[in-house]
Amino acid sequence: MSFLGYKRPDGSVGTRNYVLVIPQGIIAKSICDFVAGTRTIQTVDHGSGRTANDRERIARVLMGLGRNPNVASVIVHAASPGVGYPELRAERLADEIAASGKRVEVIDPAKDGGVYETIAKGMRLARMMVYEASKLRRVEAGDEHLCLGVKCGYSDTTSGIAGNPAVGYLFDKIARAEGTALFGETTEIIGAEHALAKRAATPDVAKAILDAVAHREALAKSTGLDIRTINPVPANIKGGISSLEEKSLGAIHKAGTSPIQGVLQYAERPKGKGLYFVDNWMGAFSIFAGYAAAGSNLVLFQLGGGGLTGRTLLEGAPSIVAPFLWCTANPKTYAMARDNIDFYSGTVIEGKEDPEQAGERLYRTVIDIASGTLSRSETLVYTDPVDLYLEEPRF
Amino acid sequence: MPAKRALIMHPKDNVATTVEEIQPGDPVQVSRGGEVRNLTAVEAIPFGFKIALEEIPQGAIITKYGETIGKAGRSIARGALVHVHNLEGTRARGDLEGREKR
Repeated sequence: MSFLGYKRPDGSVGTRNYVLVIPQGIIAKSICDFVAGTRTIQTVDHGSGRTANDRERIARVLMGLGRNPNVASVIVHAASPGVGYPELRAERLADEIAASGKRVEVIDPAKDGGVYETIAKGMRLARMMVYEASKLRRVEAGDEHLCLGVKCGYSDTTSGIAGNPAVGYLFDKIARAEGTALFGETTEIIGAEHALAKRAATPDVAKAILDAVAHREALAKSTGLDIRTINPVPANIKGGISSLEEKSLGAIHKAGTSPIQGVLQYAERPKGKGLYFVDNWMGAFSIFAGYAAAGSNLVLFQLGGGGLTGRTLLEGAPSIVAPFLWCTANPKTYAMARDNIDFYSGTVIEGKEDPEQAGERLYRTVIDIASGTLSRSETLVYTDPVDLYLEEPRF
Repeated sequence: MPAKRALIMHPKDNVATTVEEIQPGDPVQVSRGGEVRNLTAVEAIPFGFKIALEEIPQGAIITKYGETIGKAGRSIARGALVHVHNLEGTRARGDLEGREKR
């Protein structure tokens, strides 16, 4: 099968067609508030006082967003507090993004006459870049150009028995088509890591999966706390999940059954195609920005929601340039927040469909949204800030 | 009264997930593929929670998806609710680690 997307100079295909302005701050935000069709990242993590590893992570996020197939062209400004570090120099970010063949413009208050003048210059540039981008037409592209990222959240027992298996079917289908599928949340594979390691494409990948879990579990134990006071989170327990292991064993169903080709760090771009595990954190404000930076051109949140009450409005989590889909298998969640849900697989629980049939419907929904239909959360202007997944102490 | 429904994920499992609200004394039908098992709920079990398919002695492994999801913190009757009050997680238990060290 195929979708309709925007072909980029590096051969990738976008499901959207944005002009990106980075890094965060008043210059980027002002340009994006003024010019339609633009996107920026909002985060407080600008790199100042961070270690080299974490600064490189931030750079990876910014460069990855720039290289994302959903981005037509990029403006980089040189006024971020972290810009003095080698990893985060505007020219470095611009060069790495421009290597993909995209147009990249650098604006700099030190050269352009101050912040007001830089904002004005950026606005002029952004308007023309958006206009140029709009001349591009969608063309038919194979599923190998899809790169999906998934998280399951507010998980309850409907997630493990219906919602995640439907996503798993989708992931298997995309992996078979030589597309790319990313899943992660290392804490939420504790108790299920051996099942995943068995599916590793090579012994090195199996070891990397087990090592990631061992590292995370050792950190959890070092708190001296019963993990159940942290994760499963209260909404999971209220939804019927009784232990971290149970949560994990349900969670891995969203990864389908395909071989796992590698273990990636946060915001790291996969080197090949197929299914990858990302050693990341479950936070919705963090994980989707990481997937988008890794190249995802569409992301999914598989929602349980048994522990939610009164949430009739569900804003999407920040995925910046990637369309964000809400999926649920919980009939109560669906009834409560129907306007927000892109895909419902409670039919599996109701005995009306098996997970494969639901997964096939999910696939068609994904193709439709990849081809330009708005996801429900895309109809909202509101976006939350991004909480970048940085791991080292700050000084 | 028609039996309430619960789903079993793997033949090795000793718990099933309820997909209806269950009251004490309700008959419950647990199905997987062609296999059907009948039992009686001994207490209320909300939608999406777990029911014990057999008596589970204290300390015994609780299995769902064919894998360990914890062990019984106390003995659990057939047809009883299985949740955080009687199921102990076995992984990432920093509290137990600390106790062992002391």
